Amino acid sequence: MSGTSELPDLSRLVPRDLVAELLAIARSGGAEFADVFAEHTVLTGLSFDEGRVKTASYSVLGGIGVRAVIGEQTGYAYADGFTAEDAREAARVASRISREGRGAEPRAFRVVDAKAPFTLSAPATLVLDEPKRVDLLRRADAAARGHDGRVREVSASMATSAKRFLIANSDGVWAEDTTHLSRLVVSALALEGNERQEGFAAAGGCVEAGYYTSERTPESIALEAASGAVLLLSAREPEAGSYPVVVCNGWGGVMVHECFGHSMEGDTIRKKSSIRATQMGQQVAAKGVTIVDSGLIPFSRGSFRVDDEGTPAQRTVLVEDGVLVGYLWDRLNGALTGNASTGNGRRASYRDYPLCRMTNTYIEPGPHAPDELIASVERGLFCKKLGGGSVNPADGNFSFQVTEAWQIEDGRLTHPVRNATLAGNGNDAMLKIDAVGSDLRIDGTTGSCGKDGQWKPVGVGQPTVRFTGITVGGTAV
Amino acid sequence: MSGRHATPEALLSHAAAALERAKAAGAHVADACVESSRAFTVQVHGGRIETLKQSGTLGLGLRVIVDGAVGFCSGTDLSPAGLDDLAKRAVALARFSTSDEDNGSPTPAEAGTYAGADLQLFDPAALELPVERKIDLALELERIALGADPRVTRTDGALVSSSGGAFAIANSHGVARAWEGTSVSAWVVALADDSGGRQQTGVYGMTKRHLADVASMESIAREAARRAVSRVGARSVPPARVPVVMSPDIAASWIGEMYEAFTGEAVIKKSSWLTEKLGTAIASPLFSLVDDGAMVRGLGSSPYDGEGVATRRNRLVDRGTCASFAYDHYHARRAKTALTGNGIRGFGSTPGIGYHNLYVPAGETPPEAILKSVDRGFYFDDQGSFGFNPVTGDYSYQAQGFWIEKGELAYPVDGVTVAGQSLEMLKHVAAVGNDLEFRTSTACPTLLISEMTVSGNG
Repeated sequence: MSGTSELPDLSRLVPRDLVAELLAIARSGGAEFADVFAEHTVLTGLSFDEGRVKTASYSVLGGIGVRAVIGEQTGYAYADGFTAEDAREAARVASRISREGRGAEPRAFRVVDAKAPFTLSAPATLVLDEPKRVDLLRRADAAARGHDGRVREVSASMATSAKRFLIANSDGVWAEDTTHLSRLVVSALALEGNERQEGFAAAGGCVEAGYYTSERTPESIALEAASGAVLLLSAREPEAGSYPVVVCNGWGGVMVHECFGHSMEGDTIRKKSSIRATQMGQQVAAKGVTIVDSGLIPFSRGSFRVDDEGTPAQRTVLVEDGVLVGYLWDRLNGALTGNASTGNGRRASYRDYPLCRMTNTYIEPGPHAPDELIASVERGLFCKKLGGGSVNPADGNFSFQVTEAWQIEDGRLTHPVRNATLAGNGNDAMLKIDAVGSDLRIDGTTGSCGKDGQWKPVGVGQPTVRFTGITVGGTAV
Repeated sequence: MSGRHATPEALLSHAAAALERAKAAGAHVADACVESSRAFTVQVHGGRIETLKQSGTLGLGLRVIVDGAVGFCSGTDLSPAGLDDLAKRAVALARFSTSDEDNGSPTPAEAGTYAGADLQLFDPAALELPVERKIDLALELERIALGADPRVTRTDGALVSSSGGAFAIANSHGVARAWEGTSVSAWVVALADDSGGRQQTGVYGMTKRHLADVASMESIAREAARRAVSRVGARSVPPARVPVVMSPDIAASWIGEMYEAFTGEAVIKKSSWLTEKLGTAIASPLFSLVDDGAMVRGLGSSPYDGEGVATRRNRLVDRGTCASFAYDHYHARRAKTALTGNGIRGFGSTPGIGYHNLYVPAGETPPEAILKSVDRGFYFDDQGSFGFNPVTGDYSYQAQGFWIEKGELAYPVDGVTVAGQSLEMLKHVAAVGNDLEFRTSTACPTLLISEMTVSGNG
């Protein structure tokens, strides 16, 4: 017996006649629409800490969630496990969102036959058993410790998630799919005198087992974490103020996700709590900036064949050459505004109703060589590694933690900078872009986005991008 | 599924069944953690129900130790076959872990018996609050927020929820503990119109164990509206080193971030900026920090921690001195120190070190007097989500608040950051307010930090 992820046949645990019955119960109070989401997920974890395997873990999460919808109103309930009686009770609770009258007759199920954007032949979740994972973690630990004598402690962990889900609704949609996510994370602690710094690196995604032996080896991940920690030992505090900021490609796209993407989600557009609700056709980003959300990016955590409402993944252009051209829609918010779902109805698990949210959001490449963007800055900051970011979509205030940055002086990177925070308002952030590089990279390895308490895997991306002026937080004035 | 959460006794019998199977599968030591909860949440928006959601969870986590190595499994299938599967998998997984003599579970003597006051964690009125009543309360919250000021023309919704839950922890040494509790939440987000199509946000609410402890919908809604309206016209300021007044929310968030440095795990790994600071002065004498697992009606209170160890009141900082660190069973053994009752876990994970109710005891200065004492500075009352480095204590947040001139709030500010280093900030605590109030499980009075860096583009 090992921890690789065996998944049951969901349509056997949740047969079609039960699903049809649950939909009927959910709509018995007059709901126009209902859906049933069943899921069986296996999570495994291995942590390698202080030179030893601390814990090997295996967890199963499974159950059925039922949603009933009338207009903009949703009733939702779920049951852990696959007992028919518990599922019926969940459907009865969901049906309490009710009114007089009835929705249209339910339609017969038809299977969604969307083509998968990519397929895995040997997913890491299924192929890498514990001994193989322990070996990857030992290699990461050795590589990080071997990098520099100042690296005193290393934590490496590997987590996998294999999820099988089934979604069916009263419009006749029936879809089943399986997703395989894995990640390898390394953190290294460097000590020198009274200085103490941590470096962090992670890799993974919806990837094959071979990814960890060819594309991102444990050694390459460990080296990134260890060298990051050592570099920060000699880094300086950032200068407080507002000045030009160049943001790295790949994960730097977390800025477009937070500063712009959230304000394009259909719920905030319908409710007009987003400033973007009235900006269709207007210039919302600098000329030359094109912003896309696509669930089709190969091997990204943010990609899928069908979303959690059964809608096939698609590519949606949000901004074309600076002009707002499209929003993101889930089924509910799309229906209320006369728009079709763009495949952005996503839920964290069967315990949650779907929300309208991003998949892989990125800025398309521009004409400039990335070096040019730095070379033309007299005094500024190059953000090489970003940590977390957040935005309040209602007022637009955003914030990013920059874990590794470099001071730019006369077009050259002069010294490393730590603890910089970027702050500003998303309302005008995309208008402040004055140069877009040609080096687009989409990072679908480890990102998760939080919204209304639900965490969901996403990808972000961009080429190297320059902003004319962003407020940089620091202790030096 | 329907009705209420499972009883503590029912959870203990699931735990006993799991322990029996773990032993049969070859575990030398085992502990089982079982959780059951029921929650019902109402969200309203624009005068109508937006969502009604019922959550119902029942799950079990089983940690086994075989020859000193740990294996862990969790799941939601508590049938005999399901528990058999969990036990066998956990024992099989332990083979892949490294043996460590400090792995273990507390004995009844180590765990102790909670002998403090009745914690009053359970309120039948919270559990039985009818759905219709929750709907009415949420609609009332939103209606009052909308009526509080003409500039509040929308909300981002109001939420009222109540939940009940039970928790059991038992181990193969004979520890078997279980308890149950309730909670009620009420929150509302008011939006105020600002110039140029902008809007400002005001969030306010609270979560309490007892229904009667939740403030009136009137006062919650008015505070949310006040926060939104007060920010209208906010602008940035130029960079400056100035005194910063942290509102209770901002200060509570800071102590929550600092907590990791007080955990035995971070101290042992030297990844804490407080490593080797025990017994030394780390803060102004005005500043103390307490974690109390045994606070009556505390949202984070429980008679025992997630490993069955009796909880207590621990003083982490005592009038400026770093007084103690927090431990779970494993790290207490590693450090050869007494248990502190900080083994925190849910059924889906192994224990980690965490706090119960973390707070700074109230000082003597009214918040108005703290403000009056500042000639020129920043009143900090809202922040972004990321900005703390747990290894170094470095602090740098996107901030909103007010510029202070001559002891008065002169105008609202946004588009700035506030930065400092926690050890320096602790030493620069120049005043502690007398306005301690618990709305969640972290709380702090108003704090005055005599110098921090405010950055902006004004």
